[in-house]
Amino acid sequence: MALPGLSLPGLGLASTPAPAYGGPTQPPTEQVARREELPAQAEWRFEAAFTQQYTVRVLHGHAELFGVELATNQPYNLSGSKGAIFTWQGCQLEITGEAESEYAAQETEYAIEWLNLHGMLETARDDRPTDGPRVLVVGPDHVGKSSLTRALAARAVKAGRTPTVISLDPREGLLGPPSSLTTVTVGSQMDVENGFGISPISGPTVTPVKTPLIYHYPYTSPAERPAVYKALLTRIALSTMNKLEEEPAAKQSGMIIDAPGSLNDPKNGYETIHHLISEFSVNLIISIGSERLYNDLNRRYGANTGSDGAITVLKLSKPGGAIERDAGYMKQLRTRQIRQYFFGSSKESLSPHSHMIGFDDMIIYRAKPASGEVEKYGADDDDYDPSSSSPVVSTNATFEKITPSAAMTGSLIVIKFCPSSSEDYAVRDSAVMGYLYVADVDEARKKVRFLAPHPQRWGDRALVWAQWPEAVADLVT
Amino acid sequence: MSASLPSDEVAADFRDSLQDLQINNRYEISNLTIIAKENAEHAPALSRVLQHHIKTTAPSRKLPALYVLDSIVKNVGSPYTLYLGQNLYQIFMDAYVLVDPTTRKSMEAMLKTWKEPVPGSMDPAPVFKPDFTKPIENALIRARTAAIQQQQSARAQNPPIPLPPRPSSATYRDSPTQQHGISRYAQPPVPQRHAPQYGYPNQMPTPQQPSAQQYEQSMHTLSPSVREPQPIPHAAYDINRLNDDIARLIEVVKLQFASNVFDSSLQMKLQALLDLQNILRSQQLPQEALGQIKVQIDQLSASLPQAPPSVTLLPTTPQSDPRPSAQLRWQPPTPSYQPPQPYPAPPQSVPSYQPPPSVQTPPSQPVFPSDMLARLLASTSNGPNPNTPTLRAATPALQGLQALNGFAPPQHAATPPASTPAPASHDLFAALRASGMLPPAPPASAQPAQVPQPPRPLLLPPELQSLLMGQPAKVGTPPITAAQLAFAAPQINVPLTAASLKTPRPELVSGLYDSQPNQCTSCGRRFLATEEGRKRKARHLDWHFRISTSADAHNLGQSRLWYQDDREWIYYTDVDESAEPPSDDTIAAAKQAKKGPKDQYIPIPADATPATSACPICQEKFENKWHELAQEWVWMDAIKVGGRVYHASCHEEVLNAHREESRRSMTPESALGKRKAEVSCSPLHTGVCVVRREDADADLMSRRTYLTRETS
Repeated sequence: MALPGLSLPGLGLASTPAPAYGGPTQPPTEQVARREELPAQAEWRFEAAFTQQYTVRVLHGHAELFGVELATNQPYNLSGSKGAIFTWQGCQLEITGEAESEYAAQETEYAIEWLNLHGMLETARDDRPTDGPRVLVVGPDHVGKSSLTRALAARAVKAGRTPTVISLDPREGLLGPPSSLTTVTVGSQMDVENGFGISPISGPTVTPVKTPLIYHYPYTSPAERPAVYKALLTRIALSTMNKLEEEPAAKQSGMIIDAPGSLNDPKNGYETIHHLISEFSVNLIISIGSERLYNDLNRRYGANTGSDGAITVLKLSKPGGAIERDAGYMKQLRTRQIRQYFFGSSKESLSPHSHMIGFDDMIIYRAKPASGEVEKYGADDDDYDPSSSSPVVSTNATFEKITPSAAMTGSLIVIKFCPSSSEDYAVRDSAVMGYLYVADVDEARKKVRFLAPHPQRWGDRALVWAQWPEAVADLVT
Repeated sequence: MSASLPSDEVAADFRDSLQDLQINNRYEISNLTIIAKENAEHAPALSRVLQHHIKTTAPSRKLPALYVLDSIVKNVGSPYTLYLGQNLYQIFMDAYVLVDPTTRKSMEAMLKTWKEPVPGSMDPAPVFKPDFTKPIENALIRARTAAIQQQQSARAQNPPIPLPPRPSSATYRDSPTQQHGISRYAQPPVPQRHAPQYGYPNQMPTPQQPSAQQYEQSMHTLSPSVREPQPIPHAAYDINRLNDDIARLIEVVKLQFASNVFDSSLQMKLQALLDLQNILRSQQLPQEALGQIKVQIDQLSASLPQAPPSVTLLPTTPQSDPRPSAQLRWQPPTPSYQPPQPYPAPPQSVPSYQPPPSVQTPPSQPVFPSDMLARLLASTSNGPNPNTPTLRAATPALQGLQALNGFAPPQHAATPPASTPAPASHDLFAALRASGMLPPAPPASAQPAQVPQPPRPLLLPPELQSLLMGQPAKVGTPPITAAQLAFAAPQINVPLTAASLKTPRPELVSGLYDSQPNQCTSCGRRFLATEEGRKRKARHLDWHFRISTSADAHNLGQSRLWYQDDREWIYYTDVDESAEPPSDDTIAAAKQAKKGPKDQYIPIPADATPATSACPICQEKFENKWHELAQEWVWMDAIKVGGRVYHASCHEEVLNAHREESRRSMTPESALGKRKAEVSCSPLHTGVCVVRREDADADLMSRRTYLTRETS
């Protein structure tokens, strides 16, 4: 498999890198196309490895992948993804390539639920044009939360809406590498192959770009530093609400919040869910795949609680096609996201740029690893207010200044918009301008070689070295 | 300064400047005043121009124009007070009946100042002599009294007109709705009753003073001595006016048609109007028929958005209202407008006007056979009864049309049709209907241009339904009730309950596909099957083409942009470049970007040689540059003129020098040219080109600028 962008001239990069992940590259054998007839309301489930070519083409009929319709007779490269191509009226697919698993499934009741959910949101948008639905999708991992979010967004876009999607899982980025917390108002068509498409680049894109606002949470799970996570939630909610006020159409379309599965934890997660609901003024909670979570939420927010009754809690069953994405797959996915951030995809290949910077010319913070104090720090911090937290006690600080070291090699460095000498909380709450990849640290000459997505320098910004996501050793050599 | 200039020229310049006056702009008004002052010797001509302008300009611009008058008489005084004072009644009242209540208040305030001395002046004489202002005051008082009486009588026999009774105050303002109703709709249904009484042989409202006449009719005690100073010969006037009105209407429809060439209903409407015009020009029609036609035309023109108010009965230049708000347009002001019934006409029920069912099918050719109309009119001209059956038959439909345009129709024809309309009337009615002037019967509730509804889901038994949905008919499947199927695809209504989650809703599925049948083959995106949908798809395909042609050439150089920060993101809107038209701002920005000669470029010619790659003026070579937006190598600051390439800046320099020279040798420009230029440079004009950074096409460029700013 050709890896885009790795043989670019002028970058001092090796021209024949080994693939970064997933075992040996298979020789490009001539694949035989095969046809699959799907009856109405059936779906084609597949798990394609990253290293395998896997192409699907609709020969006739209508088919969709998580709400995004596939064009007839267009090949879609679904390598490295796990999903289900669903058809309402039946269709014929032509499939090329090998997948780890593929089969036609008939148990697709979830599709009706998802479509009805879309209908509910449309009804709400029509009924209350000035107060669109604000949906929170919660549930354990691997139950299809992100897929539902994507389907709801895609259908809303199809209906001419501009929904705002908020992705809060640091393990998987949206329009950015992992550890991004993203909010994006989807104003244009979604993409079959990679969902939300691509964030703005300097050239033309095959799918219209989506402009996200990215924040950075440098840990795997919200539970590691709940206070930091909540502060970021407050921040995202503030920006998103402001934006919706600016754009009535977006406000009417509402928002869809995709919460990480790790919030499904009464001990550590519920407080964060509560914070999330109040910060975003959520008025519809969708709980997938967890009876207990649904009951807990319904008890607290449901219509019969006697409160304003503004929040509806609905329960969806876990789709049969939702399968666990194991740690190895997730790691590969993250690697691919990082790679795509710098090098783009096969559709839009990008040229990253090298920057050599001396140790003295930058200030790098490190996100301190979560430790035992977390519990105390995060407890009863219900109404987090960033402005009141400015005198952060040093032991509670999120970040500490470090000297670049070889340990950084292969990691991501986050460029925050705030100046390099900002307060701890400012660094924490500041939005992300971009990511750098540490290609090389020369401790002797006190220089770091970065890979940057853009040729222009970033100026005097706070740089944060996050141990999360994990280092990718051979993005460049 | 311009003593030798002929009056015509000065007047023409003055008129042009007046036409630029759109809002109450102190600067422009004082400018116009100065012009009047400096050209006092042309006062008769300028007064005429000003008077004519006030008459003919759009209602929304009348007040600024009146303020010009006010400013001139107060700051310049004689001889303008003399010239303008003579026709002051007409000028004032004509405008007064047309403007909205707020403007009337301003006008009344202005009138009040005219009865007082000029502010700051030593002269104790009022601005205008009482001879001039008194008639206006009287008319306003009468109008007010009449309005109150009318309101009372109307309330006695009709549902109350939604107008608060006006408390008696210092202002003489009439109830605006009443006045509109009267002046626009109140064709006296039984004109014979009034006509002999006031010596008006026909029932057309006195053009100069329609409202005043109405008031007189309701107040029989009024003395005719306070009538308008210049009576008009009516018979000739009417047909000319009617012709004017039709011509104006044709202009308006033409304009609409020009901006919307695909609208076949406009085309038919235009055709019908042109035919009507021909008939009126070529044939002598009795007054009664003319009256009826006129009513229709008035109503129709009032129903057209850009239509100048027909009630002026004066040739009005079709000027589009500069203010976008619909409320500011001259229209009956209250949306909840009830048909005023100023006369104790027996309330007519609309059904009695319903056309015979035989006229339902419109003919394919919406033309008026002239002999047909002649026959029809001949059938009515033998009696004094003005209720031409044919036209009256068309009336309810026209009323329906008006109702669709936001206000209720007047029920003005007093009696139901005495006889079934002549066969010709079918044709006329059908022609009018086919032309789009009339909605299909029944008129009252029909929606114009209703969006074609997608086929409603069929009512099927549950087994069939589930079969359709691809599910085996399970016993447990909740039966699909008619109520659940009742949602047509566009009107989605899914209750927000857990129970409704599980219900299959085929209409939602068809909402995904069938409601947007027009699909892009390369990306699967769907578009509506409407004209707009087709346009969007065309733009979308263009976009695909642009992307596919430019992507290959540029694939190596592109890189990911930095993300936006919060503030910027909040105010940034992703424009769907793949289907949205470039906004006006973008075009403006593009034009502005083009302005600087340094920004002009041409693609590097394929046959560029060292000899041709230098500017013939300065002999320097062109700069090769990769242009990101154009996606090709270009010469910046270059322009191709007559086969040779120059530096755009050099070329402009030379051109300017040349212009300068020729200007000096030319005859001097018009006396007011310079000042006009100043007027047109008001903030109103320069403020047009606000460039928004968010624009689609300017997007890339601007974000690059942003980055430069951020990182520098």
